[in-house]
Amino acid sequence: MSPDEHLVGRCLDGDDAAWSELVERYSRYVYAICSQGYRLQGHDAEDAFQEVFLRIYDRLGTLRDPGALRPWIAQLTRRVCLDRLASARREEPSDLEPAGIATIVEELDDALAVRQALGELSVECQEVLDRFFCRDESYRTIGEELQLPAGTIASRISRCLARLRERFGR
Amino acid sequence: MSSSPPPAPDPILGAGFAAGRTAAVAARLVADVARASSDSWAGAAGACAQATALADRLDALAEADADAFAAALTALATPSAGLEAHMERAAAIPLEIAEAAADVAAAAVLVAERCDGLVRADAAGAAALAAGAARAAAHLVRANLTVTASDPRLQKALRAADDARYSASKALDAGV
Repeated sequence: MSPDEHLVGRCLDGDDAAWSELVERYSRYVYAICSQGYRLQGHDAEDAFQEVFLRIYDRLGTLRDPGALRPWIAQLTRRVCLDRLASARREEPSDLEPAGIATIVEELDDALAVRQALGELSVECQEVLDRFFCRDESYRTIGEELQLPAGTIASRISRCLARLRERFGR
Repeated sequence: MSSSPPPAPDPILGAGFAAGRTAAVAARLVADVARASSDSWAGAAGACAQATALADRLDALAEADADAFAAALTALATPSAGLEAHMERAAAIPLEIAEAAADVAAAAVLVAERCDGLVRADAAGAAALAAGAARAAAHLVRANLTVTASDPRLQKALRAADDARYSASKALDAGV
């Protein structure tokens, strides 16, 4: 059973903590589709975000394949964004699909997959990968901050990347 | 008879730009060597990813240095209240280049010690190039008008250059 299937099951069983986890897992993804995919800004993006999670709460029981939670949320988010754009401009939603939206959602899917796989690694691996690839810290700085020999950081990062790769291979 | 003024000379990109680009080229070489060794070394992909990230970081730093250097030259020619800020920036970027170049040399050691023997000399050569770039960048920090001998920025830059030199000597000795 995938982590999403497990999460959906817990939500449908009425587990409040599971709902919080679902929001935590997908909030950046939903917001990114609203703001980067459909260029919704400020209150519009926030309203769409709220609307998406309300619909998820109302309709999760209708999801036939719990393993398909992510594409279901993506589709639902796209629908909500199009509805908001259509009501603001009085146009048909089908005319408002932004160019390149499929590519943007694919890239966000990849980013979400990497983030979820990172979350399954040890705290030490998450820390060292975040510092090197996201914060652009040098090996020496990472070594000093984590109290590790600077000469071992490159091989440590390689090992953590190999573990990350294994997560994708599963 | 009228004569048009001579065309303005091309702006000087500066040694910081050259150091950044040199270290970026070295990083791409390290990535290529790692990639070429993926059949015999399980950690090759991780080393390749690190070297590629360093190359991208150094390319961006090289561009930023060229801009900062041009701005500093302009500010020196027409002194204004913003001169110090321009000079500070012109020291900060070479320091980042020195540190990133030292990391390229360190990544090159990892690769030189584990890669396919046929391409080991290329990894060692990349380490030497990165060490040269780190040394050049550290010199630019020292030459900056706002930096004194006891300045922590200079200490960090010199330390990065020393780290890079040590790594290069290890890489050059690997497999010999």
